[in-house]
Amino acid sequence: MTLKRTLASAATAVLLLTGGLAAAAAPAGAAECPSGEFCAWENADFSGQRANWSGDDHWWESWIADEDSSWANHGISGPGIKDHVRVYSSANLGGHMTICLAPGQEVNYNGAANDDGDSHTWAMSC
Amino acid sequence: MRSLRTACAAVAALVLAGCAAEPSGPAPVPPATERDQDALIRYAQRVLVDGCLDRQGLAVAREPSSPQESRRLRDALFGAGPTELSLALPTGHTVRAHTDGCLAAARHALYGDQRRWFRAEVTVNNLSAEAAARMRADPAHRAARARFARCLEAAGPTRTPGPEQGVEQRCARESGLASVEARLRPTRLAEVRLLRRDQLTTHTRLRTRALHRAAEISAAYPHGNTPEKGSASP
Repeated sequence: MTLKRTLASAATAVLLLTGGLAAAAAPAGAAECPSGEFCAWENADFSGQRANWSGDDHWWESWIADEDSSWANHGISGPGIKDHVRVYSSANLGGHMTICLAPGQEVNYNGAANDDGDSHTWAMSC
Repeated sequence: MRSLRTACAAVAALVLAGCAAEPSGPAPVPPATERDQDALIRYAQRVLVDGCLDRQGLAVAREPSSPQESRRLRDALFGAGPTELSLALPTGHTVRAHTDGCLAAARHALYGDQRRWFRAEVTVNNLSAEAAARMRADPAHRAARARFARCLEAAGPTRTPGPEQGVEQRCARESGLASVEARLRPTRLAEVRLLRRDQLTTHTRLRTRALHRAAEISAAYPHGNTPEKGSASP
C-alpha cells in the first residue's frame, strides 16, 4: 500500500500539477484531497505541492518530509478499515506522534509544529 | 456492496425520520468488548453514510468517472465550503471539520451532538501527542535529543529507508533518550489525562450513546439481511 518509491519522481510531477490547480481553484477552507486518501501540503491552507497516500509511508519523500504545513484525512470508514492517520516526526514512525486525524478532519496550519512530519500510518484508532 | 448500499439508504431514511427510535421488541444489547463495540459503530456509521450518498446517486465503492464526480463525492461525503468545527490543540494544531456532508450527518445521528463529539474526539485522539509535546519541553528531554542528534551525525549521513534502524536504536540508547522517554512519557500522559478528564468523560458518554444507536441500526438491518431497494422507504 505504500506509495511506490520507484514511481516517486513521476508522481511528484503529477502532484505538483495537481497541487497547483488545487491552490488556484480551492475556496478558503476546502481541502482538495481525494476520497480514501491522506494528504499533506508543503504550504498552509492546503496549497503548494501536495502528497497524497491511500496507504502507509514510513519514509516521506524529501520534498514533503519536514516541509509539511497542512494536512487532511479523507479516509473512508467501515468495519475493519483503518481510517485514522497518525503522523510522526521521524521516519519509520519514530520520534513522536505530532497529530492524529480521524476521517474528515484537517489542519490548515500549525505554527508550533510546522514542517515536522516524516512518516505516517493508517490505524483503527489514535 | 450494492445490496448493502440499498439497505443503507432505507435504514438511513428510517433513522433520520426517527422511526428507528420505536423498536418493536426489547432494545438491542450492545456487545461487551471494545473491539466489537468499535465494529458495531463502524458498521452503523457506514450504513448511514452509504444511504446518504446513495440518495445523491453516489457511492464510495464506485470509482468516480470524472474529476467532477470525484469532487462531488468528496463534497457529499466530507462536506463543502468553510469548516464549521475547529479546535486548537496545545500542540499548535487547529483541527477542523465540516458539519455538513454524509459523514457529519452520520456522526450527528450516532453521537447526538456533533460539536461536543468533535471536541471530545479530537482532544482524546491527541492526548498522547499532547503528552509528547510536554515531554519534549522538558530540559532533560531537550538535552537527550541534542546528544541523540550528535550520535546520528557521527554515524554518517547515509541512512536508507527500510527495516534497518540499528543506528537510531543504538543512538537512542547511548544518548539516554530512550531512558528519558521511558521515565517521562507515563507521567506526562497521566498529567494530560487528568487535565482533559472532562473531555474524556464526554467521550465515554457520547460513545455509549452512539453504541446504543448503532445497536438499533444494526438490529433493524443486520449484516447480510438486506431488503429490496425501496421496501422500507417512507
